[in-house]
Amino acid sequence: MKVALFISCYVNELYPDVAMASLELLEGYGIEVEYPLAQTCCGQPLVNNGDLKGACQAEAHFANVFKGYDYIVAPSGSCVAHIKKYATKASKLDPNYVAVAVKTYEIIEFLQEVLNVTRLPKAVSFPHTVSIHQSCHGLRALHHAMPSELQLPYHSRLASILTLVDGIVVKTPERVDECCGFGGTFCMDEPAVSVAMGQDRVAQHQATGATYIVGADSSCLMHMGAIAKAQNTPMRARHIVEILTGRGE
Amino acid sequence: MHDDDIKHPQAAAEFLQDRPHARWHDSAVWWVRKKRDAQAEKLPEWEQLRALADQIKAHTLSRLDEYLAEFANKAKSNGVTVHFAQDAQEHNTIVHGILAAAHVKKLVKSKSMLTEECGLNPYLEARGIEVIDTDLGERIVQLRHERPSHIVMPAIHLKKEQIGELFEKEMGTEHGNSDPTYLTHAARANLREHFLTADAGMTGVNFAIAETGGVVVCTNEGNADLGVSLPPIHISSMGIEKIIPKMEHLGIFTRLLARSAIGSPITTYTSHFHQARQGGEMHIVIVDNGRSAILGSSEFRKSLQCIRCGACMNTCPVYRRSSGMSYSYIIPGPIGSTLGPSRDIKKHASMAFACTTCGSCSNVCPVKINLHEQLVGQRAKAFDANAVPRLKKWAIQTAGFMMKHPALFDFAGKVQRTIIPIVPEALLKNSAWHKYGRATPDMPKDSFKDIMRKRVQGDKK
Amino acid sequence: MSSREQILNTIRANRPAPVELPDIHAPVFVHYDDPHQQFSTLVETLGGCAVYVNEGQSVLDAVKAHWPDAGQGRIVNLLEGNNAGQSHTELQAQSQSPHDHQNVDIAIVAGQLAVAENASVWVSNANLDCRSLYFLCQRLVMVVPRERMVHTMRDAYAQIKIEERGFGSFIAGSSRTADIEQSLVMGAHGAMAALVVFV
Repeated sequence: MKVALFISCYVNELYPDVAMASLELLEGYGIEVEYPLAQTCCGQPLVNNGDLKGACQAEAHFANVFKGYDYIVAPSGSCVAHIKKYATKASKLDPNYVAVAVKTYEIIEFLQEVLNVTRLPKAVSFPHTVSIHQSCHGLRALHHAMPSELQLPYHSRLASILTLVDGIVVKTPERVDECCGFGGTFCMDEPAVSVAMGQDRVAQHQATGATYIVGADSSCLMHMGAIAKAQNTPMRARHIVEILTGRGE
Repeated sequence: MHDDDIKHPQAAAEFLQDRPHARWHDSAVWWVRKKRDAQAEKLPEWEQLRALADQIKAHTLSRLDEYLAEFANKAKSNGVTVHFAQDAQEHNTIVHGILAAAHVKKLVKSKSMLTEECGLNPYLEARGIEVIDTDLGERIVQLRHERPSHIVMPAIHLKKEQIGELFEKEMGTEHGNSDPTYLTHAARANLREHFLTADAGMTGVNFAIAETGGVVVCTNEGNADLGVSLPPIHISSMGIEKIIPKMEHLGIFTRLLARSAIGSPITTYTSHFHQARQGGEMHIVIVDNGRSAILGSSEFRKSLQCIRCGACMNTCPVYRRSSGMSYSYIIPGPIGSTLGPSRDIKKHASMAFACTTCGSCSNVCPVKINLHEQLVGQRAKAFDANAVPRLKKWAIQTAGFMMKHPALFDFAGKVQRTIIPIVPEALLKNSAWHKYGRATPDMPKDSFKDIMRKRVQGDKK
Repeated sequence: MSSREQILNTIRANRPAPVELPDIHAPVFVHYDDPHQQFSTLVETLGGCAVYVNEGQSVLDAVKAHWPDAGQGRIVNLLEGNNAGQSHTELQAQSQSPHDHQNVDIAIVAGQLAVAENASVWVSNANLDCRSLYFLCQRLVMVVPRERMVHTMRDAYAQIKIEERGFGSFIAGSSRTADIEQSLVMGAHGAMAALVVFV
């Protein structure tokens, strides 16, 4: 099995530990992982700002870099949602792009759906209370959990994989899957609303008694982490792969 | 009455300055979302109902010309006068013509977003007709010379104290009394007089049945029913998209509408009108006003399926924190943010960006409109029409260029990472990131790519 | 060209590919073990109440038992037949003008069907000329044969007929509003209270 690691732009620049944890986690299951150095961005920020031509070129670059792998795995629900669901119409009609997109997985989805893991590579203990943050794209585009709007049986990928961690207490906040207000460039275009949403979300996570917010998207975690930091609260935001590899402390 | 120049980010920031009030607004609207959830949970067939409603609407749109003609012919054979209006101006002219011919001095209206869209009230008032909005929330905003901030709860942006002061001034209620029951009953007494003395009544339309030529109007207050059962003239205005094929399809839509809108199993009154009251006359005005053009767009056509329940507003985290007053189009929130830009992208571009693309709206929508995807689609229109700030367009294009050139892309990241920790935070205080309360994230020394590149080079040695 | 033709032509030109009309009768919908129980419990939350009268008891007696002050104001009773209790009633079914109903305290009308899922009653009465009665009265009584109960609105639309000058309405409880701070207030513009009498 030839697996490529796709690391989104802000994870590459701001959260190399998250990228490293992803690599270590996959390698821990005995998988040979490559990290193609020519990779850039999935194109999501361009689509979200209306630049379809630019996005299409970024998507073509993505497909070009990642063709030839059995799987492409990324620790970012939002980017994977873009690749699989929200790419430009032109790319969705391009068989080369589609061939890569169908093999692209968000890392937790990959562990559960492809590898069917029932244990962690090495035993991990995290004796803390964590509150799960369901990032919107992972939730509604990748079905990480059943969205609260739909009347269908409930499940949660993140909660289920966290049961493999020793000593952890997992909580869900009030308004179980409300958006944190990051929203890509929304956080800069609409800073007042973005921060108001983030402050409310941090408070809801905090009200569970948790000291960590755990999610599968570094962008949302960066936003909430920055708000918690500005408020001098003890709340910290951690990507789930950090917890699963014992880096969460 | 509303300001097309509103830009959502600025208007929202202003609304959020009174944070306690904004928090109250958020929780009051969220409460309705929760009531909606509780109703949906009680029906095991909820998702099937949404799927059926979606299919019925999509089918109707695919044969809209036939169903509209059938509806108009049936209504005519029931004795109703049917009018067609291509735009707002023609709609207003038709309505005024009906009223002027009957020497109407006072018109009582129930809630109709279509007449708001057409600007009917100021049009009629300028021609000497007194227009009384009779839905309590509509009446409140009418007396305040505001527009509705929500399509189902027009006065949800106001606190009861503000309404108490307004009623004291307008209806002579007790000073300082802002009890909702007291105020509601005061308005009941006040508006009864208007109902009894009106010369004509007007309603919107929730559903128009092609098979029978009748229209269905749903209210909790009974204002639409009173308004058209007392005066001799009954006018109902409807957009072309309100059509459903058969009466039996109401067995799907009436199950979804009030549950989605207000978390109630049904509205108090679900009234079916096929003829005027005895001795009266009934008119139906069928309005296009840009809708047939949206029908031609495969990307935005689905927005015509909307049944105006407002559930997308109640679930929208941006709407809840910014209120309907922050949106430039008369219909706010997710559905307004596709309908507005469909009408005029330059005026309403900021609405398409007032969205985190969380997707909750598409999931609550009882007719399954892909709202968040439409908003992203509208952004492409804004980009092409140069309706985004020039600096932003430049930045986006630069980013796109770098994405194709990995070395440049990596270099830009490095500049950001190394410079930000050096620049004193005070200098950054006014950036959009920091201004409202976000700290700078810790910046690592090396990017992941730097680390991996070093590792590859190390391997080679 | 008329506006009608202009609009229909544009729609024709922009017509999407055909989509089939689904069969709304195929799915299984909610079914209540005790639809009367479901109705009675629900109608209370909607500003209404459900009572049952038995043979020999008149509807008017049931109304007076429910509202002891009934009879102090004007009552309009549209019921026909044995259990109407007409001897106690001002018989004024046919008003000259819809405004004549403005001082009606209690209106007693026939309802043709009750719906368990939402506690609504279908009213469409061929013997009523002025539909304003339903909305101008202070208190509305709807009288429904107890076997005329369906589970959902889909069942209801399969059975109802519009009998009354093109008018019919599902009425659920009393008129209400929550337009001031989401506080639910009974008695907006229509009836302040509603009573469903099953006979």
